[in-house]
Amino acid sequence: MAAGTALDPASAAPVRSDRIERFVGQALALLVSLGIAVALGSILIVGYGENPLNVYAEIFRGSLGSVNGIGYVLSIATPLIFSALAVAVCFKGGMFNIGVEGQYLVGMVTAAWAALSLDFLPAPLLVPAVLIAGMLGGMVWAAIPGVLKVKTGAHEVVTTIMLNGIAISLLAWAINFPLKFKNAPPGQNVDLRTDLFSDQARVGDIGQYFDITPGAHLSWLLFVAIAAAILVWFLLRRTRLGYEARAVGSAPGSARAGGVSIGATQIRLFLISGALAGMVGMPQILADKGYLGAAYITQLGFTGIAVAFLGQNNPIGIIFAAILWGILSRGEVALQIGTDVPREFIIILQGILILSVVITYQIAKRRLAARQLQRAGAAGALEDSAALDESAGPRGPEDKGLEAFRASDAGGSG
Amino acid sequence: MSDDGAGGVGSPPLVILEGITKRFPGVLANDAVNLELRTGEVHALIGENGAGKSTLMRVLYGMYPAEEGRILVRGQEAKIGSPRDAIALGIGMVHQHFVLVDPFTVTENIILGDEQQAVLDMSDAEKRVADLAESYGFQVDPGAVVEELSVGEEQRVEILKALYRGVEILILDEPTAVLTPGEAKELFSNLRKLREAGKSIVFISHKLDEVLEIADRITVLRRGKVVGETRPNETSKAKLAEMMVGRPVLFSLEKPEAEVGEPVLRVQELTGEGKLDGVSFEVGAGEILGVAGVEGNGQRELAESLIGLRTPSSGTISLDGHDVTGHSVKDIRNAGVAYIPEDRHEQGLVLEMTLWENAVLGRHDDAEFSGGLGVLFIRKIKELASRLVKLFDVRTRSIEVNASTLSGGNQQKLILARELETDPKLLIASQPTRGLDVGAIEFVWKQILEQKAAGRAVLLISAELDEIYALSDRIVTLYEGRITGEFPPDAPPEEIGVGMLGGAKRGAA
Repeated sequence: MAAGTALDPASAAPVRSDRIERFVGQALALLVSLGIAVALGSILIVGYGENPLNVYAEIFRGSLGSVNGIGYVLSIATPLIFSALAVAVCFKGGMFNIGVEGQYLVGMVTAAWAALSLDFLPAPLLVPAVLIAGMLGGMVWAAIPGVLKVKTGAHEVVTTIMLNGIAISLLAWAINFPLKFKNAPPGQNVDLRTDLFSDQARVGDIGQYFDITPGAHLSWLLFVAIAAAILVWFLLRRTRLGYEARAVGSAPGSARAGGVSIGATQIRLFLISGALAGMVGMPQILADKGYLGAAYITQLGFTGIAVAFLGQNNPIGIIFAAILWGILSRGEVALQIGTDVPREFIIILQGILILSVVITYQIAKRRLAARQLQRAGAAGALEDSAALDESAGPRGPEDKGLEAFRASDAGGSG
Repeated sequence: MSDDGAGGVGSPPLVILEGITKRFPGVLANDAVNLELRTGEVHALIGENGAGKSTLMRVLYGMYPAEEGRILVRGQEAKIGSPRDAIALGIGMVHQHFVLVDPFTVTENIILGDEQQAVLDMSDAEKRVADLAESYGFQVDPGAVVEELSVGEEQRVEILKALYRGVEILILDEPTAVLTPGEAKELFSNLRKLREAGKSIVFISHKLDEVLEIADRITVLRRGKVVGETRPNETSKAKLAEMMVGRPVLFSLEKPEAEVGEPVLRVQELTGEGKLDGVSFEVGAGEILGVAGVEGNGQRELAESLIGLRTPSSGTISLDGHDVTGHSVKDIRNAGVAYIPEDRHEQGLVLEMTLWENAVLGRHDDAEFSGGLGVLFIRKIKELASRLVKLFDVRTRSIEVNASTLSGGNQQKLILARELETDPKLLIASQPTRGLDVGAIEFVWKQILEQKAAGRAVLLISAELDEIYALSDRIVTLYEGRITGEFPPDAPPEEIGVGMLGGAKRGAA
């Protein structure tokens, strides 16, 4: 019973089955939550006297039904990947960065400044310089709540909300004064904005290679976003900082006793989060508009929170969550054209989706944990977890799982 | 129904569990367990963590369905599908973690779910609760708000809640685990009163001394099976432990001989946060210094100051002659200090991380485990984890599972393995066996003694006098943040007791 049980040579097999189980469990949870959202959405659609199948078909036709549609979907997803990653990085460290909104506004200002004042540089240097300027802007804006939290204990939710407000004014000031256009554009009533960036500062459209309309503004920033997601995954899973961040986020006391500096970790996370947030505004000013104007797209930071939730703060999950978000957002247009369902339906559907994902993931997580606890290496049915989940007892499921584990010791090594 | 149970002597059994088998996927938690409970007895159910004690009682309380076997209550076969059924049969259970509504009063909590009318007459209810408490001699204020009660008082409320529902059979799941020694004493006196009143009590425990003190009969479970039934006057602590663990357990371990060398840790006039008041002591290489004391007298603050989690307001801490006062945890760890925290969940493990991730915590920035760019060497870390798990016999299916899936004893083994692997100069062990069962305690004690044999300095902080005696070469007592006495390891407990309560400082070796 002693040493042999610890790790037998065959331990690789259960490890693999654990991973498969986790993967299958999560995939299943995702499907179930999608199913729930679709079903609840159907009830609403029926309430509007429409055929749900027809409405969902319309959404899909509008988004994924053509190359142009796909182009739009990916274009919508690009900034959302950045902003959801920014949220997730802080979240893994146990912090809630609601300030991505403000951070990307500041990033747009600094990037616009760089695009206008460094336009003597050739494109291969100017674009990176502009992107770096955007990231630095986001980092500065994120550093403030980070430092305040660590030095004074001010809660990041409060400070970031305040800084969001200031960022809006800062952007307004920038396009009113220092960055205001010098060459008045033709026409009478022109929105307040900067001068047009030079062509070297624009990022290239990739839609043309796939027969996607230039109107989708699909740029290679999509690939930067995907690369960023992979980098964030690597950061969290494979580096010291990511390891410390997860420890701080999950058990700060144990992290501290393990020699981790909580404050230093949190500030670093805020800086990384800010850099990612600084990228959020880049597609719209560099790939789409070519200037920073008063009519900028708002709410990308807040939507990032939703997308991060939808992707369960997993960097790779976030890519898919952002694309799903893009499908729904793009489908909204088709909805207006092809059905009588109001466009707000999409917003409701997005909300339902987040709720059902969060709930089913929690349930899946508990089930998986309970199964892990039960040392269910053998392919067993779920019947007994049902017993565990019975709310009959006064303890929470975790405690019951714990007891189940203790019981499992009794089973011996087999 | 037939009267199966009536064959024996004495009163017929009140409850008979027959061939109860309970499986969890891949695990046999209870294997054809038979158990009889008689009227007016305290029946102790003992076994190591994971032996299946709680599972068995949850089957009786209707929380788990059993796959096989049957339950007879008062001679009648009973189908108990939920705790509600159990209560209707007069079976109540008090769990380790209480389920009380904190802002409610004692009375409100007791009548909750059993209210008689829609409009409550609280003064009447309070009177009934007071009468009930008085009839069993329980000290409790029916009007007190639960969140202001001590743990012992909350437990009394839980017991009263069951009694209020007319329970005749009371199951207590490790009731003393959460109590101070004083509160445990009061619980025992209350249990005796219940026994006199004819109630039957199932007492789940793995603490042998208290079982011998309170039980009329003792059933021992091991790995889901009953391995024996006995009575306190027919057995001993050592025999019970052997039945539980399946091999002889040593309650007093041979202390290895080791020359006490140069002082490794020197603490001078350490003061901080109103919890430590001029604490001074030394621990030499190859020496175990035991810090005895009732909890809450500065033990936690002392340990946390030494590892660098707290900055003392004055005084100095030096390691091997170097002043490390106010240094970071990382510096102090790098200087060769290992730390076993009193709360392994709060300061030891990251429960939602895998075993391998936990195995490297505190050493993750060693050049061995991560590179200059901050990339972790996962393979190296997993090798370390596999080695530690094997070396310390951490019972787990793999190193990929989360630390939360380990039992308490195995979690502690993992921490020990991690901390001792670093070849520390000084080990700070704070309540190192809290919540562990006998087998695991023995293991931890052996490891601590091995540190001494290896010439390391050990500071053992413990509220368990047994543990202090079993391991220490020298004993100091801590009371209200001050060292109130220093004693040789063979000093009588009474003398140390005086020190623990603030007695006069005694000049000693």
